[in-house]
Amino acid sequence: MTTCIPAGGGKLHYQVTDCKGHGLQGCRKTSSVSGVTFNRCSQKELSWSSGVSKFLNIQRCNFSQSPISENWRIIRTVTSSCLRDGSTKFFDFAVIGSGVAGLRYALEVAKHGSVAVITKAEPHESNTNYAQGGVSAVLCPSDSVESHMHDTIVAGAHLCDEETVRVVCTEGPDRIKELIAMGASFDHGEDGNLHLAREGGHSHRRIVHAADMTGREIERALLEAVDKDPNIFVFEHHFAIDLLTFQNGSDTVCLGVDTLNTETFEVTRFNSKVTLLASGGAGHIYPSTTNPPVATGDGMAMAHRAEAVISNMEFVQFHPTALADEGLPLKPTKTRENAFLVTEAVRGDGGILYNLAMERFMPLYDERAELAPRDVVARSIDDQLKKRNEKYVLLDISHRPREKILLHFPSIAAECLRHGLDITRQPIPVVPAAHYMCGGVRAGLQGETNVRGLYVAGEVACTGLHGANRLASNSLLEALVFARRAVQPSIEHMKSSGIDFSASNWWPRPVVPKSLGTNTMDKILTFTREVRKELQALMWRYVGIIRSTIRLKSAERKISELEDKWEEYLFQQGWEPTMVGLEACEMRNLFCCAKLVVSSALARHESRGLHYTVDFPHLEESMRLPTIIFPASPVKSTWSSRQLHKQPI
Amino acid sequence: MASNLGRLFSSIFNLSAPKLVLPCIRSEPPLTRSSINSASRLVSSSAQKPQSDQENINKEQREAVERDLENKNEDDLEEEEGGGGGIQANEETGEVGGPRGPEPTRYGDWERNGRCYDF
Repeated sequence: MTTCIPAGGGKLHYQVTDCKGHGLQGCRKTSSVSGVTFNRCSQKELSWSSGVSKFLNIQRCNFSQSPISENWRIIRTVTSSCLRDGSTKFFDFAVIGSGVAGLRYALEVAKHGSVAVITKAEPHESNTNYAQGGVSAVLCPSDSVESHMHDTIVAGAHLCDEETVRVVCTEGPDRIKELIAMGASFDHGEDGNLHLAREGGHSHRRIVHAADMTGREIERALLEAVDKDPNIFVFEHHFAIDLLTFQNGSDTVCLGVDTLNTETFEVTRFNSKVTLLASGGAGHIYPSTTNPPVATGDGMAMAHRAEAVISNMEFVQFHPTALADEGLPLKPTKTRENAFLVTEAVRGDGGILYNLAMERFMPLYDERAELAPRDVVARSIDDQLKKRNEKYVLLDISHRPREKILLHFPSIAAECLRHGLDITRQPIPVVPAAHYMCGGVRAGLQGETNVRGLYVAGEVACTGLHGANRLASNSLLEALVFARRAVQPSIEHMKSSGIDFSASNWWPRPVVPKSLGTNTMDKILTFTREVRKELQALMWRYVGIIRSTIRLKSAERKISELEDKWEEYLFQQGWEPTMVGLEACEMRNLFCCAKLVVSSALARHESRGLHYTVDFPHLEESMRLPTIIFPASPVKSTWSSRQLHKQPI
Repeated sequence: MASNLGRLFSSIFNLSAPKLVLPCIRSEPPLTRSSINSASRLVSSSAQKPQSDQENINKEQREAVERDLENKNEDDLEEEEGGGGGIQANEETGEVGGPRGPEPTRYGDWERNGRCYDF
């Protein structure tokens, strides 16, 4: 049972006993505060920089500006010991994830020690690569940090941490300039200045971009720099299984991560003094998502199992109109890897939304009809789908001139045509798609977590920047800023840590299921794939855009039943708790993240930003605080909620 | 010549029976292959075209749209090369080296050719 606090809420859903006895003292401290003072905790008291350390009893990172010392001899020693023993590798820094956050961090810390970049597929496979919009930053003299901050806080429905917002908006411009110095090439105007676009929610032009491939361009520039760096070692196709942690008094300390090489099916243990979690999002807990297949919430799940605090998981960003394959005459032969979003411009240009009975429904929800704000449209579509028990709605632009349609929307026209649909004559089937997780592993202003030696950056983190809803183009910015901010504390931590080569034996090793045989593995794989689809369907049905307490409680129950059913099957087939496989490990991470989202959603007794519930449809000022999830109690836990090396014998 | 033929076919389809196709989809789930084919056959016979088999009719309809899409791409290319070989600034947005056409963020999200990438 997770201990979940709707920070500031009148009802608190946990007891002291749920916190691990030998675990976090800070947790006990907080629980004693619960019924009495929590309500009165001001935003300032729960501010991200002091809040994490205050309630969770971690030491503030005191560091001095140490000169960059390139001690090549030390680096070479560590490197060679990793060559000697193939199954355990020793690095100063381990980075999990190869998106913008991971790579940016790696390039900086590599000046001080050896770095392993661990990525589960190809290095470029990440949400970053698919972020083809832009990065927001104050780069125009007539713009201001205050304006960017204001826009961010308004978009975040005032749930953002102001200090975090200030830091990010202030440091953004320098991070962009560094990227340009690193070789990323952004568009400019005829006057030679950076060309800045203005995206929804921004009151000023401040989006810098590279043609329309910004994420890809940043990724390319960073990967090139990483390739050239002699201190960075990239481990492709290494799936991270669980963080290696131990209790040092009241502290949980992270000393690395276990991984599975998904090409050779070998387990590699990485021992590191510092670990950066930059593993991205969890879109695949939903059936329709813009995220690439790697986004299965691995980092959030591993961190939760490692007793890191998780925050704001209820704020999942959906785009209202992704192309619905279900509605295409010629269905794609294989499941689309990431959703094709149909732009707002279709509605802007006169597109009309219909349900499958050809009723125009938007006027029922908002007088602006199809031109209502995106979140209103998303909720309206969700409501129609749930009321009518249907799989998609229709967006019709066919009444507009054919030439205009083909001129403005050739990608949609081509994609639909490929599947037997002519958008100049027929409506486009659309359904909302999960796009971005605003919540994640709770991070302080230096990217630190309550687990010593564990830092986070990027989508996996919850830094307080996005609040209840992310402002457009702030995600790449957050990744850049926090990756950079985590560098100095990481270096200090690394320098104050010794290497204990015997530490690698403290945890039992994960095992590859060779003993099971191909037949059994096939059965497990098939069943796991079905279960994944079932989980995604449950999430969409019960934890979608419009929520209710009844549905969330149903979700909680059904997900628990599904998880039990899946684990029972696995163990019946001979699967053992320390066994690992890509699909099984992803499945346990998906279960973990799904449960985090449901718990968080149940805890928030108001509607704010992306979280809307019919039982509490309004904003409540007293609830304007982050949702916090503390580590789970060991009493009732499942395979997905325990680290592999802590499984019961 | 080919592009003119494409436009001719598409205008025939438009003039002769645009609404024949629509009622199918207004009241039922989107067109199945068979309903597209039967509607197309009706169209072709009323326009006094030679009876072609189902595959060809469907193909022509598809090719009409494909050709129009291709022409759009060619026009874009000409526009870019027109100024003497160098990369031109986008007339609408003043941007150099960026996406052609209208401002991607004009409706709030970041779109290219109809596909939205971020918002």
